Amino acid sequence: MKALIWAALLLGSAWSIPAPALNVFACEPEWGALTRELAGDAVTLDVATSALQDVHQIEAKPSLIAKMRRADLVVCSGAELEAGWLPQLIRQSGNSKVASGPGSFMATDQVVTLDKPSELDRAAGDVHPQGNPHVQLDPYRVLAIAKALAARLAQLDPGNAAVYTQRLADFSTRWQAAIPNWEARAAPLKGRKVVVHHASWVYLLTWLGVEQIGTLEPKPGVPPTSGHLAGLIEITKAQSALAILSAAYQDPKAGEWLAERTGVPALVLPFTVGGDDQAKDLFGLYDATLDRLLGALK
Amino acid sequence: MNWDGLDLAILGPACLAGLLVLATHVPLGQQVLSRGIIFIDLALAQVAAMGVIGAQYFGVDEQGYGVQIAAALAALAGAALLTFTERHWPDYQEPLIGTLFVLAATGGLLLLANNPHGGEHLKDLLVGQILWVSYSQLIPGALLSAVLLGLMWRHHGRLSGLWFYGVFALAITASVQLVGVYLVFASLIVPALATVGMHGRRRLLVAYSIGALGYALGLALSAVLDLPSGAMIVWTLAGCALIGRLVIASISPAASPIER
Repeated sequence: MKALIWAALLLGSAWSIPAPALNVFACEPEWGALTRELAGDAVTLDVATSALQDVHQIEAKPSLIAKMRRADLVVCSGAELEAGWLPQLIRQSGNSKVASGPGSFMATDQVVTLDKPSELDRAAGDVHPQGNPHVQLDPYRVLAIAKALAARLAQLDPGNAAVYTQRLADFSTRWQAAIPNWEARAAPLKGRKVVVHHASWVYLLTWLGVEQIGTLEPKPGVPPTSGHLAGLIEITKAQSALAILSAAYQDPKAGEWLAERTGVPALVLPFTVGGDDQAKDLFGLYDATLDRLLGALK
Repeated sequence: MNWDGLDLAILGPACLAGLLVLATHVPLGQQVLSRGIIFIDLALAQVAAMGVIGAQYFGVDEQGYGVQIAAALAALAGAALLTFTERHWPDYQEPLIGTLFVLAATGGLLLLANNPHGGEHLKDLLVGQILWVSYSQLIPGALLSAVLLGLMWRHHGRLSGLWFYGVFALAITASVQLVGVYLVFASLIVPALATVGMHGRRRLLVAYSIGALGYALGLALSAVLDLPSGAMIVWTLAGCALIGRLVIASISPAASPIER
């Protein structure tokens, strides 16, 4: 206990050092990467999770609360993706700035979400009433989110507004140049069919015109049963699926199991920035994702 | 190294939650150990979780006291069952407790096959995260602990039959939700194990000290090393117990369990 008090005193003295303008707390690596694109070194950035973690649930660490306490802006997916831990984390930090209002930026609030249930039925599985939260793999939505995020950064930190505006313009130019390239490369994927692990690919598949014919989880968040898997083998074979997709953080066993029985390759996609060596930033994430998918065509 | 998390405002509620859990679990753990039924906490925690799933079937609100009452009632029913089995088949109490554990755990899985939200709630109930505890959450736990400690004190620390299982069931139901099943197990068994061979007030004092030191050290280390707090505390508890045991052995060899 004494050591804690000493440490608290030490920490108190450290607070007098002038801090950079804005402290940003990003829930997921993709929003951390986007913040870097838009703010560069103008902000301090903490990213709460890595690409190899399931962001639906994370372990409580003291450093997370400490980071949340000094945050001026929280950038997360929203749509209840972080419902299992973000509210507790914000409550525990006692930081009312980021609980709501301008200090809270939810990516899914900036765009139209897919998979929005017409009525809420808990029997339908782990569905999010505000739609599917995994929006980071649609480049058009990412662009819309980038614009909204740059505006928010400028609102909270007017002193650096010019930096954010300029960096947004730069990012938009590069991003809009990249989109047609990606679309041209992905053209052969159009109309192909895939089986997915969890319903986290809907934005990517909708963008690429790829059809999802089944999920390993019968309902989102529910582990597969033997009857469901038997049906899935049928569908995967009959419709000659291109691949079985899972994210870097998911257990590849289920996908490999299906691959073994159907001859359809199981692909592990990075899903977010940091998901593999190539996905170092948002551009790399899209390049890596398309490379993996196109690799399955050969 | 990370000194940011080493802040009383962050670690304070967690530390207090730990001390609260220790208050009832250290004396209960000594009885659990002498009865040789160390997996009873896991079994009763699972039974309490089953109670919550059952309550959801009858439409009890997920948040609020309805769930708590369902969990406590289920745990008490489990306690009554274990009292009954202890009376009739005392030689098989430990294997029966183990069987109850797997039945409750897998029964929950079967009931929840189509309800992932219930699964999340079940997980919350079993894997309480000590860092998410707030001071206001500790008040009901503190009141319950005071009542349970009063009961134990009235029975001079030796509860028998239904009294033991009942007090134990309520203590576990509350503590598992605060700090999670791993920490509950460690708080029960580790201090008691470290002080085997000692007696009375002296044993309680040493066991409480080991427990408190383990929690404080674990929280501080988890902040500095940036590791999950619950898991870290389990290890520091074990470390403190080991050192405590060595110190006890060097001071008074008579307390060694071998010469008991």
